[in-house]
Amino acid sequence: MWRIQHEARASKEQAMRIISLTICFILAAAVSLYAAVGCDLNDPDRDVARLFPGSTGYKTIYVSIDKKGGKELLQRIEQRLGDSFQGIFETIDVPYTLYQVYRKKDLIGYIHGVNQKGQYGGIQVFLALDLEGNIKAFYFQKLTSRHASKFRDHQFGEQFIGLNLKDFNSYDVRSGKITGPSRVENIKNPVPEAETDFRASLRATKKNLILVDEFLLGNKYLKHFRTGGER
Amino acid sequence: MKEKGRQMIRARNLKKIYPRGSEEVYAIDDVSLGVGEGEFISVIGPSGSGKTTLINILGCLENPSSGQLELDGKKIFDEGKFLSEAELTRIRREMFGYIFQKFYLIPTLTVLENVMLPYLFYKAPGAEERVRGVLKLLGIEHRRHHLPGQISGGEMQRVAIARALVNEPRILLADEPTGNLDSKRAQEIGRVLRELNDKKGLTIVLVTHNAELAAISQRTIELRDGRIHRETISALPGLPSG
Amino acid sequence: MISLSQVAYKNLLRKKTRSLLTVIGISLSTWVLVSLLGFNRGYQSSLNRDIDQLGFQVLLTAKGCPYEAATLMLKGGTGLRYMQESVMDSLRKEPEVEGVTPMLMQALFDPNKGESGGITAYLGVDPQTFPRMKSLLQFRQGGWFTDPDAKEAVMGYEAAELEQREVGDLLLIPEKNVELKVVGVLKRTGTQDDGTIFVPLRVVQKVFAKENQLTGVGIKVKKEASIDRLEQKLYDLPDVQVVSLAQVKQTIMSLVSSAKVLVFSIALVAILISVVGVVNTILMSVLERLQEIGILKSMGAMAWDIVKLIWLETLILCLAGGMLGTGLAIATAHLTDILIRQLLPYAPTGGLIHIDLGLIFLTLAVMIFIGLVSGIYPAWKAGRVRPLEAIRSEVE
Repeated sequence: MWRIQHEARASKEQAMRIISLTICFILAAAVSLYAAVGCDLNDPDRDVARLFPGSTGYKTIYVSIDKKGGKELLQRIEQRLGDSFQGIFETIDVPYTLYQVYRKKDLIGYIHGVNQKGQYGGIQVFLALDLEGNIKAFYFQKLTSRHASKFRDHQFGEQFIGLNLKDFNSYDVRSGKITGPSRVENIKNPVPEAETDFRASLRATKKNLILVDEFLLGNKYLKHFRTGGER
Repeated sequence: MKEKGRQMIRARNLKKIYPRGSEEVYAIDDVSLGVGEGEFISVIGPSGSGKTTLINILGCLENPSSGQLELDGKKIFDEGKFLSEAELTRIRREMFGYIFQKFYLIPTLTVLENVMLPYLFYKAPGAEERVRGVLKLLGIEHRRHHLPGQISGGEMQRVAIARALVNEPRILLADEPTGNLDSKRAQEIGRVLRELNDKKGLTIVLVTHNAELAAISQRTIELRDGRIHRETISALPGLPSG
Repeated sequence: MISLSQVAYKNLLRKKTRSLLTVIGISLSTWVLVSLLGFNRGYQSSLNRDIDQLGFQVLLTAKGCPYEAATLMLKGGTGLRYMQESVMDSLRKEPEVEGVTPMLMQALFDPNKGESGGITAYLGVDPQTFPRMKSLLQFRQGGWFTDPDAKEAVMGYEAAELEQREVGDLLLIPEKNVELKVVGVLKRTGTQDDGTIFVPLRVVQKVFAKENQLTGVGIKVKKEASIDRLEQKLYDLPDVQVVSLAQVKQTIMSLVSSAKVLVFSIALVAILISVVGVVNTILMSVLERLQEIGILKSMGAMAWDIVKLIWLETLILCLAGGMLGTGLAIATAHLTDILIRQLLPYAPTGGLIHIDLGLIFLTLAVMIFIGLVSGIYPAWKAGRVRPLEAIRSEVE
């Protein structure tokens, strides 16, 4: 008698397990844990307003190097950067998201973000730029670091305001050295032990500015690279 | 001058009754007639006289209620003997060609294809040649690739006639063939029928209310109220009467 | 010499709009039928593949919802229950068992992840047994770790991409402040493994202070053995829950089957609607052509010839509609596939909507059958027409 009851209960439990497991399985499959490729703002409505106070709207466009100019374009970008595109994630077909920011009907600036390898994880650097290509705001959307708080602090980002690609032309991303007069000198690393991540942020910024110049500004700064360049 | 030939059609005491409500209507009431081989007769009468019913029965499109019908010596209808649809179809195919007031050409088929239609259902060798021959005979060969919408009314009726002839029937039945044509075209068709009869010896039974058209035949039978009222021989001499 | 089918085809051309509308109607229901059947197949095969990817047939876990990622999503990394490692010894003794692999899942809140921080999960696995069981996993870069005590990690593709980690890079376990070296990055699988960070079991146990504890054991059953019998035995173990992935597959299959029933009902309704449409069209055209049919009969057409003609007209309509609908389905399948792929980063490789030749032939056969069935009544009615209909002109 007891045995029968036990078996009945056991099979009911079994049924419940199966059902709950199945639901979990389905939920797990349905939940997408990670965002897609490329570098989008997590919440564009909120972030555009925050990075560009006074804006009323924005338009999003997607560009990738292979579609825009292929291998030739990639080579030119790499030359301007002073470093090649590396690894399995920094590839020619990565889609870049560019935000055109408007106040009513007028275009007032751009927002662009890039992915960059940091010491322990991925870094996402977003820049808000005016129509001339000057930095108006600097934003770490993602930063995995022991010292993340210091970098995310607004004091760090403020060091970038007003700079443009002309300043970064003299910054050598490989060595971390500045080869000519440039306002990049004024950007200080708040955490000496985090040199890798500091340099990564600068590389990300330079890459970001180059891509904006190529995709949106019509290579306004290219002449500065050609004349003042290290090569 | 034609000799007295075979009787193509021999009809005796034909009756056709339609029930209408509680009454019986006699569409044909005791009609007897004969048509010799190579004869051209016409059946006239006012509307409701039963001429279409008569031609239907003669043409095996309908069973009579009673009476006898022999075609080319073969018994078709007799007291108590009625034929199935399938048997009637076979007889129709071998004996008759039909033309009607409406031309009934298929509008999406060319003249040539329309005339070829009977051969869809009745395979016979030499079909193509016969079709060309019949088109030539009716003078419409030059229209063979046209659609019915592109030719005149008279030409359309000639296509219908060609289609009726392509099986080489023994008898041509024409029910108001000129009803949809103007007088000029009507005369044309009349001439065509006349020629078919003279030159080819085709037996023709023509139903019409057009007295002028009836005049081209050799003998005219007038029906009234389902009965033969009068028979008239036309001006042409030496032709046998029924 | 013309053929009956040519005549049938040209007859349909006489009322172009009507024929076109009927064809469109049929094509729409065909489109529905083919798309639904194709989705069914595609979904089913990708589901099968997902489940097969799991590698082991039976999963033993401590009580609580065992599916790692789901647990974390639902409970935020807490609430996991543990099993003792010693469980593995008794398992190995079972004759049905071919191999076992221990697993320990741990999660941490990482304040740097995403907007306001997120959960990072680490799955501790045994380098000697785990890779063998999950032999379907392929590497984009590098390979599995071999030393059970090494502070190394293998990352699923999405996990690596998010952190831009490649072989040779460092990974930091927050809170515990431990550095791991990435030795392998997996290729995309379309399953949760894409978001998982695999670490040697002993390292996870040490770092999270869960020595000798596991959250799950994967069991590979011998080919000839009975999974059911093994499961029965496992139910008797204390504090342990048996998840038969074979049963999960069955449950999901039965869910899919009931979805299938729904799908087929919809398709059936669609077919019925088109049958009605076809019958209506052909019947109308027959009734309009009674006189003409009579003439054809006077020309020597037998009833069967007329029936053939009408049936041919019906068949042509159905086949035209069927082909158009199938074409539509194939075109939109590709579109839908792209759409789904854009929306779900987890869409498995290989089409979600699977339309192969077999399905196309099946559909065309169905359309022909429909054509024959819908044509029965109008064709029969047409066959019965007596030539007299033609002669009953307006005159008499």
